[in-house]
Amino acid sequence: MMRSIQRTFPLFVTALLLAVAIVQLTVGYGEVRRASRSVADTRLRFVDSVLVDLFRSGPQRARITALAKDSAVVAFLRSGGQRGRAQALDALRRNTLDTASNVRLELRDFSGRLLLSTGRFALGDSVLVSPGTDSARFGPLQRRDTVLFFGIAAATGGTEQAAGNGTELSGGIVQQVARLQLNDRTRRQLTGLSGGDMAFLFGNAAGDPWTDFGSILSAPPANVRNSPRPTRYERGETKRAIAMAVPGTPWMVVTELPSRLIVAPAQGYLLNMAPLAALIVIFGALAAWWGSRRLTAPLVGVTRGAEAIASGDLTHRVPAGRDDELGRLARSFNTMADQVSRSHHHLETQVAQRTKALEGTNAELESFSYSVSHDLRAPLRAIHGFSRILLEDHNAKLDPEAQRLLGVIDQNTRRMGQLIDDLLAFSRLGRTDLSTGPVDMKELAQTVADEIQRTDNGRQGSLEIRIDPLPPARGDRGLLRQVMANLLQNAAKFTRDRPSARIEVGSRADSGQTVYFVKDNGAGFDARYADKLFGVFQRLHSTEQFDGTGVGLAIVKRIVQRHGGRVWAEGAVNQGATFFFTLPGEER
Amino acid sequence: MQSHGVEILLVEDNANDAELTLRALKQRNLANQVFVCHDGAEALDFFSSGASPVPKVVLLDLKLPKVDGLEVLRRLKGDARTKAIPIVVLTSSREEPDIERAYELGANSYIVKPVDFEAFARAVSDVGLYWLLLNHPPQ
Repeated sequence: MMRSIQRTFPLFVTALLLAVAIVQLTVGYGEVRRASRSVADTRLRFVDSVLVDLFRSGPQRARITALAKDSAVVAFLRSGGQRGRAQALDALRRNTLDTASNVRLELRDFSGRLLLSTGRFALGDSVLVSPGTDSARFGPLQRRDTVLFFGIAAATGGTEQAAGNGTELSGGIVQQVARLQLNDRTRRQLTGLSGGDMAFLFGNAAGDPWTDFGSILSAPPANVRNSPRPTRYERGETKRAIAMAVPGTPWMVVTELPSRLIVAPAQGYLLNMAPLAALIVIFGALAAWWGSRRLTAPLVGVTRGAEAIASGDLTHRVPAGRDDELGRLARSFNTMADQVSRSHHHLETQVAQRTKALEGTNAELESFSYSVSHDLRAPLRAIHGFSRILLEDHNAKLDPEAQRLLGVIDQNTRRMGQLIDDLLAFSRLGRTDLSTGPVDMKELAQTVADEIQRTDNGRQGSLEIRIDPLPPARGDRGLLRQVMANLLQNAAKFTRDRPSARIEVGSRADSGQTVYFVKDNGAGFDARYADKLFGVFQRLHSTEQFDGTGVGLAIVKRIVQRHGGRVWAEGAVNQGATFFFTLPGEER
Repeated sequence: MQSHGVEILLVEDNANDAELTLRALKQRNLANQVFVCHDGAEALDFFSSGASPVPKVVLLDLKLPKVDGLEVLRRLKGDARTKAIPIVVLTSSREEPDIERAYELGANSYIVKPVDFEAFARAVSDVGLYWLLLNHPPQ
């Protein structure tokens, strides 16, 4: 297929638009995803900080701290649980906020022995939190079966050191154990507060147990817990999470969002933008196609016009209505076509005139040769006829000299007749058409040679004609036969006085052409006059020596030239002559 | 009329050729009933005159004044009354177009006059003998 601007330009534009669209979509997708991540991180951090504030739980700690300084409690503990039991119980009951069996307040001595407790949350005695001295301290989140709970403890009176030494017990521990309420409602409420989809995890910074407020979970991976930056991890699906420690406690909160939700806006962007981009590409391609058609249609018109003119339709013109460069091109083209058409017409007229003139000249020549044929012969016949009548009818009245003179007239009229015949034959050569075909030159030469051997009269010695194998030629058989006949007759004529005459017909290859030759050992010729041999009526020997009109070689030359060949001769006086001619090969 | 009993009609404008032709015929005793026309018009008149004798052969030159030989040939061969008459073209022209045209128009023979007198005399007498003695025209 041919390269065409009309096709390549729209393709190029389409490719360009496609590239721009792909880059735009890729960059846009990245940007949206980054923005969406940033928004998500901000939300996660915000919710983290809200949760941290919630769990620092300042009022609870303050209440336990205050309880550890309550005089009734201090007095009870200092007495080692012996005195003021009722007052201490009363103080505990006042501070037990929860009635729904989730909280338990207890008083223990430094050795951990339970002295007094309130609340219905019962887990045995094993829960012990290392107490704070100045203020209450939170213990780690703990698990017992399906229950999560944590303690807050504060020491009052005495010192651990004193207790460790086994001295008088002068104080004890106030401890609150609270159960973490876990149910889906809580979880859903929390989730709802954050706008959905977000998950909140709560647990120990050091490890298990953790919860999402609905159920107990295992701790998020260490890399999530140890990093203050957003981290990705797998839990059911890919999550983006931010962890934050709750100050003053061993706890930590983690908020997380599914990654798919963060990517969703970017995917939405792609989903919305891709069809739009496709639309733009398609529209752009159509516009480019239409534009290039509009642009190249006149060019195609001019190209077709040029082709039409090149193939000979000189009347072809192209539409030139446009008022731009293409219009100018079309107009210039039409102007050029006009000029080509004019000069062509002019040339044709000239050719017609010349042809007519030539035809006229030809016709004149024809009528000239006709006249020669007809009108020159008649008087000649009269001269010959009447001189013969004179000899026949009035012989008695003529003396020998008169008879001899009449003989001279007789001879010359015969010769004149021969000249006229040869001249007519020569002129006819230029007018007849060649009927070309393959010609067997060997067979042709043999036929002519046989005929010459048959009619060769008046020879002193022997005549040998040798014919080598000859390559075939392409030409007019009749005319080539005349060439061979003229050359062989010439050779026979000029060897007539040789005791043993030899004629050789042969060929040789010479730079891609076949050169035929006819060689004899006859009278030869003076090489200085070689170029005159082929002129009409040119003779290098006197008529007395060798008869002939001097037309034979001129005919040979004309025939060979009409075949597109060349003819020449080599020779020397009394050393024989060789006549060469070339002809186009059989295959041409 | 002079034309009565004409056996050979010779159409020849050249007086010399006519004389040489008559001489050749005379030597064979064929010249007694020869009528000579000197141009084409005369030849046509010969046939259109009332008596309308039928020669045994017409010897017709081609290059003739007034009406040329080929035209004479065309008219004679185109006329039902004369088309059976043998016409021998006897001319100096050995041009191929002349020969072709003559036979196309219905010439019975085409003879090129030899320049050589002996050959010419022989040709004319042969033609005369053939058409007058050997040939059988329709009656």
